[in-house]
Amino acid sequence: MVTAVSDDMFTDQALNDPYSYYGQLREEDPVHWNELYQLWVITRHDDLVWLTRHNELFSSAVFKNDPRPPYPTIYDSDLGLYEFVREYQSRQFIQHDRPDHLDMRKVVHGYFTPRSMEEWRPMIKDVIKDLLDEAEERGSMDVMRDFATPLPLLIIAEMMGVPKQDRPHIREVAEKLLYVGRGEPWRMQNFSEGIREMIEYVTPLVEKRIVDPEDDFISVLAQGEREGVFSRDQVISNSSLLLLAGHETTINLLCNGILSFIRNPDQYDLLRSDIEGMYVKANEECLRHDSSVKSITRIASEDVELRDKVIKKEDRIRWFISSANRDPRKFENPDQFDITRWPNPHVAFGAGIHHCLGATLVRVEGQEAFKAFAERFESLHLDTTEDQLEYQPSITFRSLKSLPITWN
Amino acid sequence: MAQERKLKITVDHDVCVGNAMCESFATNTFALNGERQSEAVNPQGDPLAQVLEAADNCPVSAITIEDAETGERLFP
Repeated sequence: MVTAVSDDMFTDQALNDPYSYYGQLREEDPVHWNELYQLWVITRHDDLVWLTRHNELFSSAVFKNDPRPPYPTIYDSDLGLYEFVREYQSRQFIQHDRPDHLDMRKVVHGYFTPRSMEEWRPMIKDVIKDLLDEAEERGSMDVMRDFATPLPLLIIAEMMGVPKQDRPHIREVAEKLLYVGRGEPWRMQNFSEGIREMIEYVTPLVEKRIVDPEDDFISVLAQGEREGVFSRDQVISNSSLLLLAGHETTINLLCNGILSFIRNPDQYDLLRSDIEGMYVKANEECLRHDSSVKSITRIASEDVELRDKVIKKEDRIRWFISSANRDPRKFENPDQFDITRWPNPHVAFGAGIHHCLGATLVRVEGQEAFKAFAERFESLHLDTTEDQLEYQPSITFRSLKSLPITWN
Repeated sequence: MAQERKLKITVDHDVCVGNAMCESFATNTFALNGERQSEAVNPQGDPLAQVLEAADNCPVSAITIEDAETGERLFP
């Protein structure tokens, strides 16, 4: 079926309100061939779950296996940079298929079990308390700058064994790495610069942990090298992956979640009326309602039939979490922010063998953050107008540029 | 080596995301079904320590293990 939806996924309208844009695709053409970017756009919840659980049909080795130039187009003069980016990204464990993926994931998986993440909860609570104390003293807060950004950086830095004084530098480098899902034709320059700086930063840390392991996450990766699962380059690439993935997603969850509570004061009151009973569910609803990650890509490993379309071997696919999580076939009143929703089978972390490794950590961070806001502030308000809220031009991340708030 | 103690293993399918880690830690005990969710196909398939490790590595805590005879909760 042909839909009237424009194939440009980078218009202001599609970036600011992905729910209408991808929602229309979900209803009119759920397995949509995007002619402009030459890829399949998958938007229904059940298709997404099916696809993510059939990893043998859809390769995650996208950078390695996609021979086409990136979309939207980049400057011809940057194609060399893109080769460098491909090579680097291909070393990440999430860019591998089985059987390699299983060996790689097993090296890092044990670090992120729900039980091990519980051990971090007290530290996470302390960090949140300090940040909110500071904000209260100042009397104002840009949730993005003053809370959501420092929080996961501090925690990841701690877990990765990265010295605290290096956090601002890491954030700066990470900003450049976020260009991975952006549309600007010059984005490879920022992205590859970020990669170079990250390699430069992480390499000495890795070299130290190879010789002298500690109980941090880089040491876990280094152990993977000793066991012959990772090469040195892969250890470095995966260290920086975790630094990036571990904080951008959390930043978005916290900002988007707080914004949802501001727009839905009844739900904030509800959380405040029974914090202990509601905070876990509230966090799950924040994950569903305005998900941190909008979409993920794959490459078809063979011809696959899906809803009377044939996805050809080597075709590009992008599946949209933000649309699946608003699918009315799966969720009642899907556009409504409802913190009593339970069970909440959202796909904010994907599904299948590539289900987000850091989901366990993000959950603890989100739970404690929303809980702390509810315990401390009677009501939350925007310190700007709705039309001033802007999102980064990315189809991968749902990232506000800033979120100034006030409170009572 | 299979284990002697009789286990009752439950996988909550409202929660299971098909991460398949359980299957890789206790290969004889867990297998993915047609929906690609985990099933405890043979509760006696692996030594208890391995089954517990599999449950512990479930990223969404979908697995519960009890002693089938005494009802004692072994995980979580």
